Amino acid sequence: MPTRQRLKELMISELMLDMTADEIGDDTPLFGPAGIGLDSVDALQLVVMIEKHFGFKMADQDQAKRILHSVNTIAEAVDQKAAA
Amino acid sequence: MAEIETQAAPLGVLINNAGFHEDALLANMQQDQWSRVLDANLNAVFHGCQAVLPGMMRQRQGRVVNIASLSAISSPAGQTNYAAAKAGVIGLTQSLAKESARMGITVNAICPGYIEGGLPADWTPEHLKALKMQLPMRRFARPEEIAAAVFFLASPDASYITGSTLKIDGGLL
Repeated sequence: MPTRQRLKELMISELMLDMTADEIGDDTPLFGPAGIGLDSVDALQLVVMIEKHFGFKMADQDQAKRILHSVNTIAEAVDQKAAA
Repeated sequence: MAEIETQAAPLGVLINNAGFHEDALLANMQQDQWSRVLDANLNAVFHGCQAVLPGMMRQRQGRVVNIASLSAISSPAGQTNYAAAKAGVIGLTQSLAKESARMGITVNAICPGYIEGGLPADWTPEHLKALKMQLPMRRFARPEEIAAAVFFLASPDASYITGSTLKIDGGLL
């Protein structure tokens, strides 16, 4: 399964989101009112989820903030790590 | 923690039960009496939760039961340290419950009243007798009556209970 699709499905199940994968745009901001509206608890869960399912560990909070912007930014970081 | 989790199964249930009180009026309370009681009753709960949380988050399942005290609610004279620490445990419980609810982790607190065998050794039989007369059930709790509630809160049946504080005092308050 492509990384983006897998990320969306994992997010829906792990963050208990009442939406479908199609409703999450690749570039939609994950946090804040302009986006999906995730909160800091979701952010913590995303960090754990990405480490558990993709073996990608965030170096620090600044990096996490950048990477957790959207599905695209997470997928790029995860795929880059897999290719390295 | 890592050693426990590699040698045994990941921790599914944490019961923060250790604690003690060291009563004094605030006017006479020494700094170390305050600190010891806060360390044992409140800071220990923080450290315990922080140690097990990463494992529970990875499993997306966990149960935390914090043993607070009736003193957290009744705040008797002579227990500014203990009452503050135990009220702190209730606050921690409610806040952590919100942080971990979506991760399948529940966090609850129990406030036991007087328990058989758990009363200060220097209380005389006459004092205990007089105390019992003031209790609605005219008896102290048996330890297993507290344990039953811990067991329930740690069980799958309690899956929608989180951030709750259960008072077990035989109707005293």
